[in-house]
Amino acid sequence: MVFPISKIVKVLRFLFPLLISLAIWELLATFHLLDPKLVPSPSRITLTMYSLTVPQPTLLVYLYRSIYRFTIGYGLGAILGIGVGILMGINKHFYRMASPILSLLISVPTIAWVPLFLITVGIGDETIILAIFLGCFFAIVYNTMNGIRSINKELIWASKIMGAKKTTIFSKVLLPGASVSIITGLRLAVGYSWRALVGAEMLASISGGIGYLVYAARAFNAVNIMFTGLVIIALGGLIIDNLVLGALEKKTIEKWGMIKKRV
Amino acid sequence: MNAKRLAETILYFFFPIFLLLIIWEAISRLEMLNPALISRPTEIFTALWKLLLKTSLSGQPILITHIYFSLYRLFFSFIIAVAIGVGLGILMGRSNKIYWFFESLITVAMPIPGIAWAPIFMIWLGFGDPTIITVGALAAFFPIVYNTAAGVRSVKKEMIWAAQSMGADEKTIFFKVLLPSSAAFIFTGFKLGLARGWRTIIAVEMIAASLWGLGFMIFDARDYLQPSIIYGGIIVLAALYFFIESLIKLIEQKTIEKWGMVRPEVV
Repeated sequence: MVFPISKIVKVLRFLFPLLISLAIWELLATFHLLDPKLVPSPSRITLTMYSLTVPQPTLLVYLYRSIYRFTIGYGLGAILGIGVGILMGINKHFYRMASPILSLLISVPTIAWVPLFLITVGIGDETIILAIFLGCFFAIVYNTMNGIRSINKELIWASKIMGAKKTTIFSKVLLPGASVSIITGLRLAVGYSWRALVGAEMLASISGGIGYLVYAARAFNAVNIMFTGLVIIALGGLIIDNLVLGALEKKTIEKWGMIKKRV
Repeated sequence: MNAKRLAETILYFFFPIFLLLIIWEAISRLEMLNPALISRPTEIFTALWKLLLKTSLSGQPILITHIYFSLYRLFFSFIIAVAIGVGLGILMGRSNKIYWFFESLITVAMPIPGIAWAPIFMIWLGFGDPTIITVGALAAFFPIVYNTAAGVRSVKKEMIWAAQSMGADEKTIFFKVLLPSSAAFIFTGFKLGLARGWRTIIAVEMIAASLWGLGFMIFDARDYLQPSIIYGGIIVLAALYFFIESLIKLIEQKTIEKWGMVRPEVV
């Protein structure tokens, strides 16, 4: 794999401000202008990260648990969300019944469901997975439905006139036409689910997870561990969004020429 | 819209919700749901009604005070976020160097959910309002600064040059060129920021509020195993946000839509 110079320059241009900020922060800490108990220096955060990985890989285990929960919750949300969204898109009666309920539920912050699940489902994985699921579900339904409903009627009529079966119309007209909107929804929903994961893990986790790490550190006033958690949360969100879904976007709708390449 | 169509719209909107509540109530009456876990709609509305009438020991009406505290925190968070976000956003829009510097910082910090900051701010600022308002402001800040910068950067260079060559000073350019042309972007930022701030405040209230706030009310009900209050809280949250959104739509219609500045739909 060849890295073009322009790409390296781009990465450096992105990283440079971050490095400068970290350097200033580190300097302030070395000259004791920051209380290390309240604001740990970047080097101390890095050390914390290291000591949480070696010899016992606590951090990796926690991260693994979060990713595991995220995958199940988001996977379920994506499958069911696209399914319900398609139903709402193609069936007028179902749309009429479900859209008011959707518009009410979509405005409830996901975290508000967590106390309810704590009572009904109990503390632990199920509650967190449910929260992640709800975090992404409504956005995916909404975008899928909009994608299908915004397809020109003429296109559907045209294929009907030419004798296309319902299944053909669905797979050759509706699905491709809605794909941009569906993938946009999937991408938006990643952020929502990630947020729900962190919140739910704070309130409902008993066995690990990255949100749990941040919240549990409060008992020891361990600000360095909290910052470590923040770094992982930020990186995790960025990586899932850019590498996984950005790649999906490139492989699918960008390749099919449905959206413009990012400049 | 004439009266008949309005009535139809309202009917279409509320009919499915009523139907859902009736089915829910019926299933619950047939004892197919565990009442300790899933409350009946009638129970939920009774619980809400009681909360509305009941007063606390110091004489405040309970539900109203919870709502009041959440809204008041949202208000202050939003004001702070707007002041800093629009300020920095305009600077970022005007200067390429400032833009370049803050863009990477914002890209890295923006995906961190507001609630993840809460434990840190609780150590810095303690329980209660200072933490909740600060974290709410932090959450609302990012979409506002991001959209303001994008809006100011989207203003065509030619327009600024034209104004400059006709002898406009910096202040005039700012108020007559930059602000009107980026108003739609800034408004979008406000909307996103308000939504993000609201969600964050409810979440942070769960862990950092000590007495009042809707998030606190919901989380506190868990300790006493009162699911009907949690359901009631969720309904209040949905209704309140619905109200806030309609208010924003109204403001949008009265301002930027009227002035003809609406940002074209971006897909």
